[in-house]
Amino acid sequence: MRSDNTESDVMNGSFLQPSDSELQRWMSSAFIMAKEALESGEVPVGCLLVYNNMVLGKGRNEVNETKNATRHAEMVALDQVLEWCSHRELDPKEVCKCCVLYVTVEPCITCAAALRLLNIPLVVYGCKNERFGGCGSVLDVSSADLPHTGTAFKCIPGHRADEAVDMLKTFYKQENPNVPKPKVRKDGMGPAGGSVTTHTRKHEGDGKMAASD
Amino acid sequence: MEPETKKRKGMESDPDSSWHVIPVLSDEMSEEVTLLDAYAVPITDKRQTSRLVKDLSVVHPLADLQHIKRVRACKDKSSPHALEVIVCLVSDISISAQTRRPTLTDLLTSKDFNLKGLGEPFLVRIPARAPLTRPQFERASLHWPTSFHEDKQVTLGLTGQLFTSSQQAKIQEYMTAAVEAARSGREEGMDAVGAAIVDPKSGRIITVGHDLTRDHPLHHAVMVCIDLVAWAQGGGVYPYGKHPACRYTVSDPLISSEESAQPYICTGYELYVTREPCVMCAMALVHSRISRVFYGASSPDGALGTKFKIHCQKGLNHHFDVYKGVMRQTCEELTLLH
Repeated sequence: MRSDNTESDVMNGSFLQPSDSELQRWMSSAFIMAKEALESGEVPVGCLLVYNNMVLGKGRNEVNETKNATRHAEMVALDQVLEWCSHRELDPKEVCKCCVLYVTVEPCITCAAALRLLNIPLVVYGCKNERFGGCGSVLDVSSADLPHTGTAFKCIPGHRADEAVDMLKTFYKQENPNVPKPKVRKDGMGPAGGSVTTHTRKHEGDGKMAASD
Repeated sequence: MEPETKKRKGMESDPDSSWHVIPVLSDEMSEEVTLLDAYAVPITDKRQTSRLVKDLSVVHPLADLQHIKRVRACKDKSSPHALEVIVCLVSDISISAQTRRPTLTDLLTSKDFNLKGLGEPFLVRIPARAPLTRPQFERASLHWPTSFHEDKQVTLGLTGQLFTSSQQAKIQEYMTAAVEAARSGREEGMDAVGAAIVDPKSGRIITVGHDLTRDHPLHHAVMVCIDLVAWAQGGGVYPYGKHPACRYTVSDPLISSEESAQPYICTGYELYVTREPCVMCAMALVHSRISRVFYGASSPDGALGTKFKIHCQKGLNHHFDVYKGVMRQTCEELTLLH
């Protein structure tokens, strides 16, 4: 009887359900990572992969740095978990089966599929990703019937969602780092923080709101 | 149609020249025509036609049915009247009037409406949505005339005439590079999936890659190619030195300085891949702003036609064209090697 329960708990990830204090602790680390992304001119998304109370992976968006549009926080953190497993000659899928992902923004469709492929059972996230979300916002990859794409996972959404959205808004308000900066006038007549042209705004708005792109 | 002759012809030719490029269209473009019940009325006095159309558009505007032509020529040439007009949808009138056979005054309840020139109503079925493709238009027109804004590219795609024979030869050349990469990967013990990313402006292959999932569970051929494009643009994440068939060409600085800036990631590029991409890879192509995708074999969880159509998914900010069936037999044979 008992082992049956444990088995089904493993299947749906509920055995990993974090306590409130754990959740707060890990999410605040994920927010620090997101802040670091913001300071580096990347879309502010940060995440942690936690296994048995150990942080195996820590990531933030690195898309601009690598010129690879798939270098989202989750992908960076997953690579660290895989590295950790390979050093210890452990089967990554066995380890991932017991990992929880803490991330400031709902994983996009690419990352949701990647999390499935590695059998991550549980994702705790901050705000919704209206543009690219793969856990229900655009598509529900997390629970879709995809027998050849790993395993479905459970989500706990909404932790510090407003704060996560505010960080994204801050990013989109500032100039796009990929566009050359216009010169700030010395007489201080220019708008604070440098001017933002309509063109730049358009470019930023190009699918980047609430996104981990 | 003489299937016998056709079969013989196919057997004689090289299997790779027997394939057809098939566009993977959105659900809206592929679906059957849906119909709505409506009441039409014969126009007994032709001279009233323009007044009737004007008056009807006020009392029954058919707001969501802009594609419907209000008046049609009577199908039956021996009929005493030449024209018929849509008055309203069945759903526009009261349930009680629907249950009996409604008269003209049930449909046009206003006393002010001038019924001159109208006969007695009869039921018709009219297309609920504007046709998006020529086959949809032809099927819709069997029921009631509709307007149709033809996308010539789509029509050519559906009739297999989109690509000239020289373009088809190019497509085969690029897919062959992907197939060769898949075979090299297979020799390394990987899944036999290969891909190539091409700049159609120059015709050059930018990257070729294959599956590397034995080294990294997420390194599907498409993910490898996307990272190789990043390398070609001065970025990149993973090393590929151990895999000679995974390669990229750095653009010629002389040419690229002339052609202004480098594209943003894969903007304007085309992907050729032996097997339909999974959800992860399909969405990675959206993030990378790919312009077109060609694939050979479908896959059971594929996201560019089979399980999802990520390339035309509503709510996403970037869409692209997808074609399947390229060197289908060769690509399907590769999937059997897994």
